[in-house]
Amino acid sequence: MSNLFTNMLTGWQWLILAAIPPLIVLLYFLKLRRQPVEVPSTYLWTRTIEDLHVNSIWQRLRQNLLLFLQLLLLLLIILACLRPGWQGTALVGNRFIFLVDASASMSATDVRPTRLDAAKEKIVAMIDQMKSGDAAMVISFSNNAKVEQPFTDNRRLLRERVNQITPTNRTSDLSEALRAAAGLANPGRTSQSETNEAQVADAMPSTLYILSDGGFAKVPDFSLGNLEPQYLKVGEDRPRNVAIAAFSVGRNPDRPTQQQAFGRIENFGPDPVSVEVTLHRDARLIDATKIDLPAAEFSTDPATQNTACAPGAAGVEFDLGQLDEGLLKLEIVQADALDVDNVAYAALQTPRRAKVLLITSGNEALRLAMLTDEAQKISELSLAEPSVLETKAFADEAAQGQYDLIIFDRCAPQKMPASNTLFVDAKPPSDDWEFGKRQGNPGIIDTDRAHPLLQLVEFGNVHISNGHKIKPPPGGSVLIDSVIGPLMAIAPRGGYEDAVLGFAIIETNEQGEKLVNSDWFVRLSFPVFCKNVLEYLGGNAGAPTLPSIQPGTPMILRAQTPVARITVTTPSGQKIDLSRENQGSFVFATTNELGIYDVLEGTANQTSQRFAVNLFSSRESDLHPAEKVTLGYEAVPGVAGVERSRKELWKWLLIGGLGVLIFEWYVYNRRVYF
Amino acid sequence: MPLLPKTNPNQILSPQLLAQLERLELVSRKIFRGRMKGERRSKRKGQSVEFSDFRNYVPGDDLRFIDWNLYARLEKLFLKMFLEEEDLHFYALIDASGSMNFGTPTKLEYAKQLAAALGFIGLCRADRVKIETLGSSRRAPGPTLRGRKSLWQMVEYLEGIEPGETISLAQGVKDFCLRNSGKGILVLITDLLDKAGYEAALRTLVAQSMDVYVIQLLSPEELDPDVKGDLKLIDCEDQDIAEITVSRPLIDRYKRTLAAFLEGAREFCTRRGMSYLMTSTETPVETLVANYLRRRGLVR
Repeated sequence: MSNLFTNMLTGWQWLILAAIPPLIVLLYFLKLRRQPVEVPSTYLWTRTIEDLHVNSIWQRLRQNLLLFLQLLLLLLIILACLRPGWQGTALVGNRFIFLVDASASMSATDVRPTRLDAAKEKIVAMIDQMKSGDAAMVISFSNNAKVEQPFTDNRRLLRERVNQITPTNRTSDLSEALRAAAGLANPGRTSQSETNEAQVADAMPSTLYILSDGGFAKVPDFSLGNLEPQYLKVGEDRPRNVAIAAFSVGRNPDRPTQQQAFGRIENFGPDPVSVEVTLHRDARLIDATKIDLPAAEFSTDPATQNTACAPGAAGVEFDLGQLDEGLLKLEIVQADALDVDNVAYAALQTPRRAKVLLITSGNEALRLAMLTDEAQKISELSLAEPSVLETKAFADEAAQGQYDLIIFDRCAPQKMPASNTLFVDAKPPSDDWEFGKRQGNPGIIDTDRAHPLLQLVEFGNVHISNGHKIKPPPGGSVLIDSVIGPLMAIAPRGGYEDAVLGFAIIETNEQGEKLVNSDWFVRLSFPVFCKNVLEYLGGNAGAPTLPSIQPGTPMILRAQTPVARITVTTPSGQKIDLSRENQGSFVFATTNELGIYDVLEGTANQTSQRFAVNLFSSRESDLHPAEKVTLGYEAVPGVAGVERSRKELWKWLLIGGLGVLIFEWYVYNRRVYF
Repeated sequence: MPLLPKTNPNQILSPQLLAQLERLELVSRKIFRGRMKGERRSKRKGQSVEFSDFRNYVPGDDLRFIDWNLYARLEKLFLKMFLEEEDLHFYALIDASGSMNFGTPTKLEYAKQLAAALGFIGLCRADRVKIETLGSSRRAPGPTLRGRKSLWQMVEYLEGIEPGETISLAQGVKDFCLRNSGKGILVLITDLLDKAGYEAALRTLVAQSMDVYVIQLLSPEELDPDVKGDLKLIDCEDQDIAEITVSRPLIDRYKRTLAAFLEGAREFCTRRGMSYLMTSTETPVETLVANYLRRRGLVR
């Protein structure tokens, strides 16, 4: 019952209001100043009203329609002041934090108009329920959190800020939003800079309303403290959605000169669907296909009641032939609940071969391994004698980053170059690296096959005569371990990486004779290793497809020419200038839009590189809302938020009161009596 | 008596109405003995030109009425009988109390018109017409009129009737009966709204063995009161006060009371052989006379 009415008036205001009805009745009786009318005879009138004199007060009351209308009007006003409503639960506490999920999945239209709009509507309804003195804050989150409005009791401001929340294409991550909320609700733990514009909340228990579809990872290691979480589930169960889960361009394995586009389509809906997929190149339709997708399988976890969704998936493949340039757009034609994941972008670009400098004094094995057909496809090898290290030309080239990779075979420069490096049996000119003394028969114990450099590289049949123990600087990792210690390691250096191999393959003795230190070069694994080196340390240049990131993820760009500024053009045509960071790279963070981003270097007017932003997130595409969300150690069950929103009657009561007033006026003027 | 009438009879009787009324005559259902020979056929046999019947001669009969032709043929004496023509006494008794001074036109004016119309019919047919009000005293009775030439006199007398007589209905009727004992037609024009009741007055009339017509006059305001709000009703006659708060139930109740009152009066009159007619002042006098009263048999 206490939920039915919300008191809007203070005690003395109620007293005044309560005094009005008796006043009206009193005025009615005082009003008995009757209009005298002379009539031929009161004979009939007296006979008419004879029996009415019994209970005359009540008779009068019963007959006075105007009095009743006035009392009814007053009753309606009093009721309106009580703000009756139903299905509403009083907001718990008097401090509220509204966490609004603004991630890509909240743009789903299974709840009209969108989930985000529905969530905003609910928040506004809850803000309307706030009593005076209640304070609330609004945080929107996707893969990061944004404090839309710090704690305030200004409901108008809150509503305004809630309505300003816009949907994003990003993935969702609750942890940052939770930390922001906890920082304000539990002062003393952290402090947020945003709060200096409004009053900082004292350590008071706050109710945390999470309006989301639950499409985010569990948040472990989080203590709620003063926060009382409420998860208001937004979205319908098992909406239909078909998403592009992956899209890439690669070489046809059978015909290496030709390119193919691959896509993976996933169905998150409960029914099998048949969808049409189109491929556009530079806004022109070049291919289309129709694929059948099986229904998604739903399995409910008995512990959490959460339904896991295994999407029905199928692949699509388009032969692109000899195309080597162009922007590709893959699109699902059929509309579904979420549009963002119905489109994916990729670009064909001419593979740029890595510029590699091999400095060796006649290491034929290495040179040959670097010049295999496969290696030549991805690299452009230059050869130099160690004597070049002394020249100024080399020093300049190295400092300017002319090469993607410099391989120092048994030699070392005076200064580390501005490129990735591989040192073979040589110590980098840095005190961070430790190079042990030469030891015999370093039997290999273990290799790190997970590292791209050593993928598919088999060391079981490789024998090594002598080697050096290597110790990489902090941050480095050991790739080959042997009985004498690490034989190969890799370590980052600014924006580059240095790999050091602790043994020679072919060495030259004092007499100038070439000696074989290892039989690795006759093994199949050696050219594979060399190709790995060219691919990994030579950079991504060899990949025909361009890098793709998720919306909201920062993109780290590296200029191909030494420029101080680059310009990134977003898909919508916005140009953003970036200046070089300390480590020689450019960080581009405005990746909200889906599509292809062009990068111009310096004053050049030719796009030097591109990258794509695609959603490619099963978690966002899976629109089935989670039943529970796990915050720290607490599982918060979802509540269908609709029921919580209070249906207010006072507007209708006031409209009714207005109607009564109009009716009363009509009765007064027209003298309608019943 | 002035040479010229002070008032214009058109105010009470329009020429059109007069023309219409000339063709009518008053009818009595009872046989009355007039004092003078009039234009009216009586049921009594007597001297006139209109043959009625034969009868055997009995000694003592007037020999002048013996049909000698018949005697010559049959050698028997028969008496020829003729219908006798005689005059009729017509009385109009107007209630001129305060309550009659309401309505547009006032009930009293309407009563005067009605009385004048009926009286004019009587005058045209050489009947004896007497118009009086309830308050007429024995010392100042209304004039007894006869013949068309008396129209001006009648109108003048009617003009002189002023509302506001305070005599009760019963007393007025009683006085009238004492003054006028003869037989004839009596038209009582009143609203019957007397707090003492109308029964005593009408009973007095019954004893008079007159052909009594009771015409109850009510104004539209009384029949369908158009009143609103909280009112203090003041009786114009005795200043009695009735406080009412007008509402639809009250109006309905009033109408029920009125209907019961009218029905009671009608029944009271019918049972005692009186003709009762209720009329609103909205009904034109000519319509009332030409249609309603003709239908009731007062005129033809």
